[in-house]
Amino acid sequence: MSAYNTNKTIIALIFLTCLTMGALLLFILNAEIVVNGGGIKHETFSGMSIGGDGLERLSYTGIPSYVFGALLIFLIVVFCVLGIPPQKRDFQLYMFVLCTLILSLFVWYQMISSHLEYLETGVTGYFLGFPTASAWQMYGIWLSSVPLISLYSIGFRRYVFSDSDEKEFNALLEKSRSNEK
Amino acid sequence: MEAYRQEIITGAVVFYMLFCVLTGLWAMRRTTNSGDFFMAGRGLGPIVLSLALFSSTLSGFGFVGGPGLVYSIGVSSFWMVVISSAGYAVGFFMVAKRIRLIAELRDCISLPDIAAVRYRSETVRLLMAMTIVLGVMGYLATQILAMALVMQAILSGTDTFANIGLVSCVIISSTVLIFYCVTGGMIASVYTDVIQGGMMMVAGVLILLTAMKVFPGGITEATSVILADDTETMMPFGAAGIMASLGWFFVFGLGLAGQPHLVTKMMMNKKVTDNRHILPMSVFGYVMAALLWISIGVVMRASVIDGLIPPLSVPDDAVSIFLTIFSNPLLAGVVFAGLFAAIMSTSDAFLNVGTAAVIHDIPKAIRGTSITNELFWARIVTIILAVIAASFALYSYYADATLVALLGAFGWATFSASIFPVIAIGLNWKGATVAGAIVAIVSALTINFSVQLAGITPPYGISGGLLSFVTSLVLFIGVSLVTPPPELDDDLNRCLEL
Repeated sequence: MSAYNTNKTIIALIFLTCLTMGALLLFILNAEIVVNGGGIKHETFSGMSIGGDGLERLSYTGIPSYVFGALLIFLIVVFCVLGIPPQKRDFQLYMFVLCTLILSLFVWYQMISSHLEYLETGVTGYFLGFPTASAWQMYGIWLSSVPLISLYSIGFRRYVFSDSDEKEFNALLEKSRSNEK
Repeated sequence: MEAYRQEIITGAVVFYMLFCVLTGLWAMRRTTNSGDFFMAGRGLGPIVLSLALFSSTLSGFGFVGGPGLVYSIGVSSFWMVVISSAGYAVGFFMVAKRIRLIAELRDCISLPDIAAVRYRSETVRLLMAMTIVLGVMGYLATQILAMALVMQAILSGTDTFANIGLVSCVIISSTVLIFYCVTGGMIASVYTDVIQGGMMMVAGVLILLTAMKVFPGGITEATSVILADDTETMMPFGAAGIMASLGWFFVFGLGLAGQPHLVTKMMMNKKVTDNRHILPMSVFGYVMAALLWISIGVVMRASVIDGLIPPLSVPDDAVSIFLTIFSNPLLAGVVFAGLFAAIMSTSDAFLNVGTAAVIHDIPKAIRGTSITNELFWARIVTIILAVIAASFALYSYYADATLVALLGAFGWATFSASIFPVIAIGLNWKGATVAGAIVAIVSALTINFSVQLAGITPPYGISGGLLSFVTSLVLFIGVSLVTPPPELDDDLNRCLEL
């Protein structure tokens, strides 16, 4: 597969993902409206909102929303791959990115399942100050991008800007400056 | 020390403002042409740039509005914070290297410059410049208003300035901002950002430590109090619900790579290879500073529910009341100065990109050439933009908030929807076309403006920003796929392959 085709495949993936997300948005916009879907005012404190019945607000749009979130995580990872020049993408990179995607989706799944478990049982554990589900969000979502940041920093010369890229750019620059003169 | 609380806070803020003025004077000697004024001579090191990047990201909205949002809607607003690491990663993978290379190769000094080179289209340049000017006016007006309100709150606590008016506070704070932006341009802006970023990080950590002591059981007790009051507020999607949260996840995550004041800074580093250090340092700085956002919001909501303090009259009071009640005067001084730092670091960046759009890009798009003596006009236009924004701020406060609210709609979400596809995807996909870029920008502006003008409130907390972003992405790629791509110059073609 040529480098050009690889980018075409990624763009097609991004396009399909965005189309699906658009369709999900349309579905949710047209779903049965739940009063507390976007929050309701707190009965006692005027500056606060509350969510109310958690299971009720997920009744019509829960699954499409979860899928929307998973697709967004997929999109973030794919955009990072698009930022790596096609000729630099190798098997190891794809494996690394796949593992990052699986890790991020695992965090997403854990957050949702902990939330649903709490809504059904009314019981939750705590981790570093937050209820389990929110702890997955707070720490998990934040940290699930660390592999991507590490890939950029540690793999910079291999996947982002190699020594030969630097030489080629300097040559381009020199040529451009001499043309200007 | 408690007896001198007001003096300490006022002293810290005055000291900080003096520092900004002195930095402006220092940077004036180093600003000799428009390249220095807009691009800081493209000579910034990794530490300076990473501090400048994250401090510009976390504006007054983050330091004042963020804790207010947690107070108001709970965990929903955390999504704007936790997605920052992914947002920076996307921004660096997709934009940082290429934009820096093209800027040096073609001597670009603004984001619309990059767009014009990439698409070989003055229409794309004009549309992008106009989007930036509109967005900048809205952002600047809200930042100046926030700065003046905080200053009024501080000074009215002193005997000398007990009756100081908002107009005076707008004049004082804007004068400091204008002074260092006019004299030192981007050089002053980034070097004040360094101190501003440092102060924000220190403030974030110290506030977290203070917040942990408010309840005997620490943050865990605070979150338990909120959870007992409402089952959803302390859960991952908060009071605002799952789609509102995902909207912020989308717009703040991917959208970071579409913010002109941030992306423009990615053109200013001395060496492209420094990017490998700038990314992790920016993320680290942002996380440290954002601790303030989360910890104050959670503790203030729990304190009100628990009856520890009376309810806030407006959620945005969360920071100032927290500092008054729970922190010692020295910390309050540091945080109030940090608050000014957060507001000013974003304002100066916006002032700079707005000025570049007015004096460089719009004339170039219309007449084919930029104006002569750009440095002189840059200084004049910086003053004019700041004065107009300050007037908008006062008008919105005293007469009608609609104007600033409308311009505010051209804020983060509109920049994300209109700039991300054109720049971030366009720099990585040669198939991106002029038609795709124009349709993406126009659709983003139209949807955001229409939703705001018509007062439409989509169900389930779905925002106009999310709708416009998804639409512009689909249209950008879809239209590009069916229209012929522009012919690229050889050097640019090669640059896009590196």
